[in-house]
Amino acid sequence: MFCTSCGRALGDFANFCGSCGARVKRPEAMQESAPVESLPVQPPPVESPSPSSALASPPSSAEAKAAIPAGSRTTCPWCGTVTDAKELSCPRCGATLSAPAEISETGWKQLPGRKDMAKLQFGDSFCQIEGLYVPVADVSLAPNDGIYFTHHVLLWKDLQVNMTTMSLAEAWKRMFAGLPLVMMQAQGPGHIAFSRDAPGEMIALPLQPGESIDVREHLFILATHSVSYDWFMTNIWYSTKSGDDQETHYPVGAFMDRFTAPESPGLLILHASGNVLVRELAPGEALLVKPTALIFKDPTVGMQLHFEHPRTGFSLWGSWGNRYVWLRLWGPGRVAVQSSFERIEGENAYMTSCSPATQHQW
Amino acid sequence: MTDPSKLSTGEPLERIQCQWCQSMNEKSALTCRSCGAPLDIRNLVSESGWREAPRIKDMTEFHFSSSTCQVEGEIVPVAEINLGAGDSVFFEHHIMLWKEDSVPLTVLQLPGGMTRALAGMPFIISVATGPGRIAFSRDATGELVVLPLHPGMEMDAREHAFLLASHQIDYSFVRVKGFANILFGGQGMYMDRFVTRNTPGLLMLHGYGNVFERTLKAGESIMLEPGAFLYKDSSVAMQVEFQRLGTGFFGGSNMALARMTGPGRVGIQSMYVHHHTE
Repeated sequence: MFCTSCGRALGDFANFCGSCGARVKRPEAMQESAPVESLPVQPPPVESPSPSSALASPPSSAEAKAAIPAGSRTTCPWCGTVTDAKELSCPRCGATLSAPAEISETGWKQLPGRKDMAKLQFGDSFCQIEGLYVPVADVSLAPNDGIYFTHHVLLWKDLQVNMTTMSLAEAWKRMFAGLPLVMMQAQGPGHIAFSRDAPGEMIALPLQPGESIDVREHLFILATHSVSYDWFMTNIWYSTKSGDDQETHYPVGAFMDRFTAPESPGLLILHASGNVLVRELAPGEALLVKPTALIFKDPTVGMQLHFEHPRTGFSLWGSWGNRYVWLRLWGPGRVAVQSSFERIEGENAYMTSCSPATQHQW
Repeated sequence: MTDPSKLSTGEPLERIQCQWCQSMNEKSALTCRSCGAPLDIRNLVSESGWREAPRIKDMTEFHFSSSTCQVEGEIVPVAEINLGAGDSVFFEHHIMLWKEDSVPLTVLQLPGGMTRALAGMPFIISVATGPGRIAFSRDATGELVVLPLHPGMEMDAREHAFLLASHQIDYSFVRVKGFANILFGGQGMYMDRFVTRNTPGLLMLHGYGNVFERTLKAGESIMLEPGAFLYKDSSVAMQVEFQRLGTGFFGGSNMALARMTGPGRVGIQSMYVHHHTE
């Protein structure tokens, strides 16, 4: 592909020419189509070809590499997009390219720094992330582009941006704070902006064709129309009893969102509270995390409850009255956690039953 | 900080205008002496025209009448006021952080004897008079918005968002009428109004999260989540409108959006007070 303005060779995923800055015009076939009505309710692609591909080098098709001369290429440490080394921010996820990736000794990678007002490009549209404490995702939609979002994250919009509700099969099953969870869509042209009411970070996740990601519910900000949306039951729960009160708790939520880019690349934006840390689990490698800290995981990552008890005289084995609740995650695949998370409900109440779990007594 | 008596010496014509509050500053100044905005950092304006409120550098000092204010901390910033003799500031009682023993407090008499309550407590506007130091903060991550008000300016602010105002500013509140506005402000139907007479004054607000400002042209409109509204010039009209959310079940529900129409400035906060609509 070549820039129609200056003739420079471009990568497949370029939205703007790196040489003259002109917007890249694509042939119709390559444009991100928006099959909104036909959201596939498909089973999860459990055997994703390579779960690490997103981190390693997703859009690094041979052509994309060829377009940028060797030696002046750089790979985004967050999403793996190969870009010109002259770029300061990744054009797909907004990560700062000049700073080295921050990885802890234990293997957690911090969400890369982002310059205020960083721009993310998708299709003919772009999204600017503004502010550092409670960042705003400010989307400039081109005439034929659209996004969808949950209604409670809207911050402001231009008058001409048309918003409609998106019909989802069995959506009535899901509630947000006692209200139906309404998925809305916005159609360009115009500006529309979103934020969530907690200090934290905006996470940009460019999805490559065929790639899926599982996201804890209510963290979703927006997705482009090329991303399909589905959810599944987590089957992670436990019931507690206090007197005659029986309660069922879902520490990772009763439902989990699954986003997939079936045919063309898409952009997914999430919001997490506090700071965001990501790591890659090798096949079979397991890790215990606090269930409410989970942000997202690759569909290949398995999860199950895990309980730990102290072996003390008065805490009877069967009482379940004094235990820690963990979420066991095992690879292969990525997992991400947030540093600020909710208290786990019912952690100290008498437990009567639970989903399949492992346990350990010490 | 710059001493005003020295401003007229040296190169008289070289001045930097603060892009936030329009005050003129000495060429060598790094921060604006009227609002504390950094002068050596370019403005952060989004493509859609929102300008980020200037991030006040830690320990920045700025001046109003014969007092100074120092802003301390960046995540939950504290405004520490060194009141000059005869200067006073007024504020809502619950945002005081500390004060010197000698600083007298009084209660601002509001006209009309109207009573308002905040979280079940009587709503009291207190006044602190100099000389002495008094400091304020609000209980959430956010930004201080410093708005020096020039004579004749009128600003409206979301209730409980104002941190303090100097004594040159007249304070009143307006009851926002109409059933739809019950949603606006959530717990209340009031909006604070600040008016300057002949002398410039200082108004400081606290916004949750990040604060953005945009100037609307006459007749230009934008739709806001009502919980995001922070302040506006009183020339900006605000009207609540509903967007129907059809879920296909239970008849759906409504989403309230505030239509803001220019001319004038509108300020928003990114961590908003969310109001569930029925």
